Amino acid sequence: MADIIWTKDLIKDYELGKVKVRALNGVDVTIEEGEFVAVMGPSGSGKSTLMHILGCLDRPSAGEYHLDGVRVSEMDRNQLAVVRNRKIGFVFQSFNLLPHLNLLKNVELPLMYAGLGQKNRTRKAREVIESVGLSDRWRHKPAELSGGQRQRVAIARAIVNNPAILLADEPTGNLDSQAGGDILEIFSHLHRQGNTVIIVTHDQAVAGRADRVIHIMDGRIGNGDLAG
Amino acid sequence: MAISLAESLQVGLSDILLRKVRSVVTIIGIVLGVMSIMVVLAIVNGMNKSTLDWMGERGGLTKVEVRRNWSYDFSRGGEATFTLREIRQIRALVPEAAAFNAQSQLQPQELQYGESGFVCSLLGVYPDMIKVEDWAVASGRFLNEQDVENFNNAIVLGSTVASELFGQRSPLGESVTFAGQRLVVVGVMEPKFMANQGGGSAFSDNALEYLNQRAFVPLSTLLSKIAPQERIGGFDLQAKDPEAARELRRKVNDIVLNLKRGKALFSVESAQEQLEQIRRSTMIFSAVFVLIAVISLLVGGIVIMNIMLASIKERTREIGVRLAVGARRRDIFLQFLMQTVLITGLGGILGIGSGFAVINAVGSYLQLQVLASARMIWVALLVSVGVGLIFGILPALRASKLDPVRALREE
Repeated sequence: MADIIWTKDLIKDYELGKVKVRALNGVDVTIEEGEFVAVMGPSGSGKSTLMHILGCLDRPSAGEYHLDGVRVSEMDRNQLAVVRNRKIGFVFQSFNLLPHLNLLKNVELPLMYAGLGQKNRTRKAREVIESVGLSDRWRHKPAELSGGQRQRVAIARAIVNNPAILLADEPTGNLDSQAGGDILEIFSHLHRQGNTVIIVTHDQAVAGRADRVIHIMDGRIGNGDLAG
Repeated sequence: MAISLAESLQVGLSDILLRKVRSVVTIIGIVLGVMSIMVVLAIVNGMNKSTLDWMGERGGLTKVEVRRNWSYDFSRGGEATFTLREIRQIRALVPEAAAFNAQSQLQPQELQYGESGFVCSLLGVYPDMIKVEDWAVASGRFLNEQDVENFNNAIVLGSTVASELFGQRSPLGESVTFAGQRLVVVGVMEPKFMANQGGGSAFSDNALEYLNQRAFVPLSTLLSKIAPQERIGGFDLQAKDPEAARELRRKVNDIVLNLKRGKALFSVESAQEQLEQIRRSTMIFSAVFVLIAVISLLVGGIVIMNIMLASIKERTREIGVRLAVGARRRDIFLQFLMQTVLITGLGGILGIGSGFAVINAVGSYLQLQVLASARMIWVALLVSVGVGLIFGILPALRASKLDPVRALREE
């Protein structure tokens, strides 16, 4: 299988006032297409920073990052925006749906920025809303849904553009165990369909579903890869 | 591919509808600014139109008038009158004038026809009076050169004079008496009419009715037979076109000054130059009001800018989400710029609407002539959209510069 993510010696420095903080200190990660990977580490370990860089929301201070065969570490803001739009689907802990838009419009958002016409947008968005089991709710606003339902909308939004990777940051962190289990089931299902899924988590139970766990500590990858 | 302009407009519009109260508060300044621009332009337009109408009724823009100079100090000697001989001299010196009319007006006296009489103003004139005043006879003929040369006892009546003395009958060929002189009616003038501006007169709705109460005889007849003690107080000329009026005014001014040995007993004015002067003063008037309107638009623009800045701060997380799903800087920039432009454009449309309402109210209550034009709508619309573009740039730029990671972290 081809590598969908390949990084070499990723370094990320932050300036906190006068102090320079090194959040990532030479990270090499390789993830194959179709893998289900969990990223674990205590807070402050650099896993959020890694996730931001893998998600093309941020750029490394040094090092190389190739996503789906494209070297993205040297891209500018606008090129990264296009990469996020085409290749990455985000699922956040706090859902991050736009409160004043209904489900359909929320899910259509990536398609709008992809420049798709209204007709195709609606058709594709309805399809993925149906696939997460909310087809009768597409007119509702996020506030009218439960947390689990909101996260399913967020997943629908993440997959609507057929991205190369699904990137989830503590997707069950704000959910009860029942709803959290449902969400994990959806991720597993997406994985079985061939999607590459990367979940950042604290939760051993979540990590247990993954093919492989990447441990990160003090800005470096640990050597505790479970599935090697 | 980025999102289209139409898409940005749609996103902007839904944001506005979502925050109705805020949007309404935001646009009040723009509405007022655009409204005052509309009203000022309409009033200035109306004033220019009134002036032109009035000038036109008084003989058009080619007219040059010679009148007593009221600012001359007559205690220094000299009398602001011409003799018939002087008038003939002057007339011979300006053959390029399209028309020449010197006149002398008597105090109103009774004009008699049989048993009936009517108090009217009698004027001695030249045949060119109808050209200078842009007037015509309704029946019969006007005075001609023979009447002047031969001191004929011919008279032309104003329409009111004719109807008061003769009713429905034709006065042509009838004899009337003025100050003991028998005069034969050769013509009747067309009635002159112009609606009164600025609250109807106590006497008539027709601002030009006094002209209809006049009667005309040859100047030579008046000065030799009817009122030998009268002198000529001034005269009128007409140039071939408004541009020539300027030159004619200067030439006549020189002739008159020479004739009166350098004393500025008379003022010589051309309608064209008067109009330019009036235009200049209305320009100053309108410039002041437009300036006030512009200031209120600027204030409105600054208010909008601040509200947009606050709104962007509030919506940082939304911007973060949009960035995460693929919005580019340009998309965010356009979204917020379009939103500002939509708000000010909407304000412009409301301003145009309320401007028309105020224009109508001003027109009917103050009886002031106001004139709205299609061009004003475009000006108002362009100005309001322009304010949105100018004051929308900074907030939109700030929104587009947000860092995705930080924006997503914002609570």
